[in-house]
Amino acid sequence: MKKRQRVRNRKSQVKIPFPVVLANILVFVAVFGLSYVWLCARCDTLGQEIKRLETVQREAHRRMINEQDRWSSQVTPANLDRALKRHNLAMKLPDGQQIIRVRNGVGTATATLAYNK
Amino acid sequence: MKYKGRTISTSVVIAAVFIGLGVRLAFLHLRPSPGTMERIATGRRLEQETRGPRGRIFDRNGSLLAVDIAAKHVCADPKFIQQYGDVEAVCDAICSQFGMNRATVREMLTKPDRQYVRIQKFVREEMFDPLRKKNLKGLVFEDVPIRDYPKRALGAHVIGYANFEGVGSAGIEQRMNTLLQGVAGLRISQKDGHRREIYQLRTVDIDPQFGSDVYLTIDEQIQHFAEKAIDNLNTKYHPKAAWAIVQNVRTGEILAMASLPTFDLNRFSTAPAEWMRNRAINYTYEPGSTMKAMIVASALDCGAVRSTDIFDCENGAWFYGGTTLHDSHPYGRLSVADIIKKSSNIGAAKVALQMGNAKVYQSLKAFGFGDRTGFDLPGEDAGIVWKTDRWSKISITRIAMGHEVLVTSMQMLSAIGAIANDGIRMKPIIVRKVVNNQGQTLLAPQPEVLSRPIRPETAKQMRRLMARVTQPGGTATAAALPGYLVAGKTGTAQKVNLEHGGYYHDKFIASFVGFLPVENPAISIIVVADEPQQGGYYGGTVCAPYFREIADQTVRYLRIPPEGFTTEYVTEIDNGGSGEENSSD
Repeated sequence: MKKRQRVRNRKSQVKIPFPVVLANILVFVAVFGLSYVWLCARCDTLGQEIKRLETVQREAHRRMINEQDRWSSQVTPANLDRALKRHNLAMKLPDGQQIIRVRNGVGTATATLAYNK
Repeated sequence: MKYKGRTISTSVVIAAVFIGLGVRLAFLHLRPSPGTMERIATGRRLEQETRGPRGRIFDRNGSLLAVDIAAKHVCADPKFIQQYGDVEAVCDAICSQFGMNRATVREMLTKPDRQYVRIQKFVREEMFDPLRKKNLKGLVFEDVPIRDYPKRALGAHVIGYANFEGVGSAGIEQRMNTLLQGVAGLRISQKDGHRREIYQLRTVDIDPQFGSDVYLTIDEQIQHFAEKAIDNLNTKYHPKAAWAIVQNVRTGEILAMASLPTFDLNRFSTAPAEWMRNRAINYTYEPGSTMKAMIVASALDCGAVRSTDIFDCENGAWFYGGTTLHDSHPYGRLSVADIIKKSSNIGAAKVALQMGNAKVYQSLKAFGFGDRTGFDLPGEDAGIVWKTDRWSKISITRIAMGHEVLVTSMQMLSAIGAIANDGIRMKPIIVRKVVNNQGQTLLAPQPEVLSRPIRPETAKQMRRLMARVTQPGGTATAAALPGYLVAGKTGTAQKVNLEHGGYYHDKFIASFVGFLPVENPAISIIVVADEPQQGGYYGGTVCAPYFREIADQTVRYLRIPPEGFTTEYVTEIDNGGSGEENSSD
């Protein structure tokens, strides 16, 4: 019995030293690895975001140019003339008979009015 | 200890596997064979060249005249459509959208060995959008920029056009092609197994540079006035062609340049070459009586004659140098002032004879005839002024009435501009500025003096003489504008018969060139009609009314005050009723 007890005691007394250095290295590698993965994922996300924004910018620019083009086409003098005619708006610049020109000194009693004939 | 051997052997096997993998990885990453390396690099390489859009073209007020817009080529993958898609549905959609022949489309889509056919080129957004929304399998839309001209035919001969490769081929598009063209961008990167770009491996990323924007001196509204006027001229007189130019007298800026026949810039490929010709700068013609203004101005300037000198106009027929020179109406004795007003050929010939060949030649050159003005549009003609050693005895008398010389309308307007601008001939300018996409001004042509053919006093005297042309008794009363003194000169020249020599008796070039207001000229205008077919052929009849039409609208649009008024107050009277003051400067 004594002998058996002694053996048991010896086993329970075996202590494996905790590999601190190895643990530190593993933790460091793990942290490094995780950081690397996280950074990669972040870069990828940012890259996708950049790509998406590039597309948005291109699309916005394209739409702006198209709208500018459409607007410019609509306000062509010939188109405006046609639109006015369509709505029976006989707008034109006043001709000579419709204009009174006032010589310098307007607003004073000596102002001279002149019709253009 | 029982399992010690197994443990060791298992560990060795695992270690061997991992070491093997490690070595293989190391070889792949560190020392791959050149062939493998090349295959990997080629498969991964992504190279995209992005074309920089062409710059835009604006009028002087920033109204858009030309721009690159996004369009698509509509393409299809017939093999894919036949395997996975619906040929009939695609066929239906394309035919209904583009109005194409069904048999043709079907033939294109039923080629099992083809993976790419281009169905429709340069399709605009509004056209391809409905098709894209249908989400049809096997249809592909390729991005492609297209040059668009939102004003269509407005200023067509000035703006010109860029061809389908994006190269300027006429007008300002051609002359300013280097500045308008963008610089292509480049992106070099790598792609993954799904053919998507790996952003982290993007090594080169150069953005495309937009072409520079060109601002013209043309004013959209004045251009419209000019085009409408020559269109009206065309309706009434049916000439073969007609054209008009409006110029700022002081700076030489061209405000409008219209030419008929014209064409829609968006469909330039369907227009005949003759329609694309900018006659304002590349059509040379014998100017007729408009030349008398320059001859008389030079004669007055060099002291060969005075405005009050009297010349015998021989009652309409003068035998000189073995041939008879005629006036369109017989005149007796006319002063130099009246020679201009009545446009006497005989009187002008005698004035020229007072100067002599050498001085007439010098004056023509000083007014810029026979030389290009250096105008910023391609295709400008220099015209022809022969040297005096090629002149016959009667040449001087014919040149005085605008024959034996060939000029362009631009030259004639530039010469008249010298009279209007106190004897200073300005270089015509069509480009106001060129601005790059960062907003920096690359080019801003300044007014440039070309020559000083006459003194300011002579120019002032000539302005008054030319103003009599539009007054009662003159040849161009139709050009008179209420409120303004208009100076000008009519021209009616028989056309040269190039086949048989001599002149046609029934083919004329009618023109009127003038400026206003006389005391402080602001704009000069020339209107020319080539072979008016009906209703008259005199410059005073055919062109003067349309000069007036352009001038009338332009002076109001530019708010040019009439003679004697420095500030304009406008009161509209509604059919004689009381109006309200509605605008002032």
